[in-house]
Amino acid sequence: MQLIVYTIILLGILGFVGALVLYFTAKRFSVHEDPRIDSVCAELAGANCGGCGFKGCRDFATACVEKGSLEGLNCPVSGPDGMARVAKILGVEPVKTDRRIAVLRCDGNCTARPQTFLYDGAKSCRVMNAVGTGTSGCAYGCLGCGDCTQVCQFGAISMDPATGLPVVDADKCTACGACVAECPRNLLELRPLGRRERRVWVACANRDRGAVARKFCSSACIGCGKCQKTCSFGAISIADNLAYINPDVCKACGLCVSQCPTGAIHASFTPPAKTEKTVKEVAQ
Amino acid sequence: MKKTFSIGGIHPAEHKTASPTITRQPLPMTACVVLSQHIGAPAQALVEKGQHVSRGECIAQAKNFISARIHAPISGTVSAIDNVTMPNGMSSKAIIIKASPEEHRADTEARELYWQRTLPSATYPAGIDAETVRKFIAKAGIVGLGGATFPSHVKAAPPEGAAKILIVNGCECEPYLTCDDALMQAFASQIVGGVRLMLKATGAPQAVIAIEDNKPRAIAAMKHACSSLNNIKVMVLKTKYPQGGEKQLIEAVTKQRVPSGTLPIAVGAVVNNVATAFAVWQAVCTSMPLIERIITVTGDIPADQQRNYLTAIGTPISELPFTLPKECRAILGGPMMGRTAVRLDAPVTKGTSGVLLLANRMRQPAKACIRCARCVDVCPMGLEPYLLGTYGRLRLWDEARAAMVADCIECGSCNYICPSSRPIVDYIRIAKQRSK
Repeated sequence: MQLIVYTIILLGILGFVGALVLYFTAKRFSVHEDPRIDSVCAELAGANCGGCGFKGCRDFATACVEKGSLEGLNCPVSGPDGMARVAKILGVEPVKTDRRIAVLRCDGNCTARPQTFLYDGAKSCRVMNAVGTGTSGCAYGCLGCGDCTQVCQFGAISMDPATGLPVVDADKCTACGACVAECPRNLLELRPLGRRERRVWVACANRDRGAVARKFCSSACIGCGKCQKTCSFGAISIADNLAYINPDVCKACGLCVSQCPTGAIHASFTPPAKTEKTVKEVAQ
Repeated sequence: MKKTFSIGGIHPAEHKTASPTITRQPLPMTACVVLSQHIGAPAQALVEKGQHVSRGECIAQAKNFISARIHAPISGTVSAIDNVTMPNGMSSKAIIIKASPEEHRADTEARELYWQRTLPSATYPAGIDAETVRKFIAKAGIVGLGGATFPSHVKAAPPEGAAKILIVNGCECEPYLTCDDALMQAFASQIVGGVRLMLKATGAPQAVIAIEDNKPRAIAAMKHACSSLNNIKVMVLKTKYPQGGEKQLIEAVTKQRVPSGTLPIAVGAVVNNVATAFAVWQAVCTSMPLIERIITVTGDIPADQQRNYLTAIGTPISELPFTLPKECRAILGGPMMGRTAVRLDAPVTKGTSGVLLLANRMRQPAKACIRCARCVDVCPMGLEPYLLGTYGRLRLWDEARAAMVADCIECGSCNYICPSSRPIVDYIRIAKQRSK
């Protein structure tokens, strides 16, 4: 009986001393952190993808809390709804951002861009790009080893076996930018989703002269400038034999799509047929 | 017991069948002189479209200290300064010179005269000082002709008293290539003269010409050429790849290892290729800039086509006389470190040491790593290639850096030895770039 009592007393004293030590050390070495960081972090997607430009979700949450406003801070994965909830926690105005998705600036499929070389090295775009042009002669186009599919954490990119090119699933893409950073030829570009998901882009990155570009790929942009003349909004510029459509100016009318002699301009919708009438209508 | 480096190394089949006689390849009618032929900043063009240039005239200046001048390989008119396709299919800025038939004839005569009269009759300039030699090297646009194309005037100016030994690299450890062998047999006395000039420039007290024991004729020629000199010796090394690697060669000759992340001058060594020494002799004694180099054409082509050609820089590779085998792989440089070429209409540059044409030699598809560690055994830098390759494949750049990926010399021994034919060095190369 006595033994049990002593044991309880002794353990009680030990526990009490331990508790005191823990209490004072916790006081002494405590790190003050804004409790809002935790709550903001809980609202975020938790993918740690780096799409916001920070190392991870917690870094982003800390930045949001420290800055006091959401100007220039956006988690593309959480989307406008998620950012609105973050804004509510912080008690600030949500900043309106357009949803963006990744598009591929290459249309070098198997028929348009014939394979002229055999490649027997490591199956990786980065390795292939370091060696040379890849399996076709085009030094700018997609290499088709699918490095972008491997880095996508959201399963939004898959390789299309028919064309040998990656396809972006617009529903799954969060515009985190991992594929943009990975592509050794900078072929993926983040563009606004567009009103009613209508968007137009140049699916080519070849900066060679038209004749050279066409030699290797029949759907290459040759920088002829037809699209530039057609566009009533001045959204298209041509530099280094390559057209670029400015998504902020483009109204996604789709007229340039039918004007392109090589079919290098792509649209996410069915573009209008090539008639004089439509050109006038859109111009008005 | 012949010396060699201590760790790793392989013994690939030599295939050094190309004839060691040097044939003069006719000058091209059109030369594409690429502005980025060396490591460092691309040269800046000094000529304009339509301007007339004469052979040997400086047409592009060095942009900064680590850069090199470029000279016109033929006389003619600058027809364009435009992007041209390089052997790997990428484009690069180049000066395109077109010659008229008269200019071509005059150039060819001048060239014959140079190689038959001027060069053999040149003598060592007595009383020349270090500064003058360095000036000549920079003026002639000489770069390391072993393959790295590092501007030579940078190497020729080490800190005062730092250079203890000048090592002249005549190893040519790459299989197939025989251009250095051919050069040593044909121009031994000029090479030794170039070595004397480089000793002056670097301030090193002694020079060692290192040659592997598979080149007996070159060894004999070089030994004969430097027999009257006390401070220049020929050292015969045991044949092993990659002995021509700078760090391996220094270890083989001096038994000292260059510490990781430092330059050879840290152990008092300056390494230069024999072809570079020859170019220095040409520059100082005959005022000839670097506008021609020797190229080995070899591989699975008829024996009479396997030769060494003295070729003007800017000549399209396809002008060299060879018949392309069916379904072949063209490699510029040696089979171990050379790069596969996809465009043979691309011009020859200062770094092109060979054109190797291999028929029906596809790599086997990569199989799983069986952890045999043969790559670790053969790595001449004492690294763990399988691990570095895996880091590269899995994009673990920080881990790769910690595992000393920057020390890799990309010699390809690991690729060669791997029984699963894994493309190890391909991944390491990427890891090296990305973990900087």
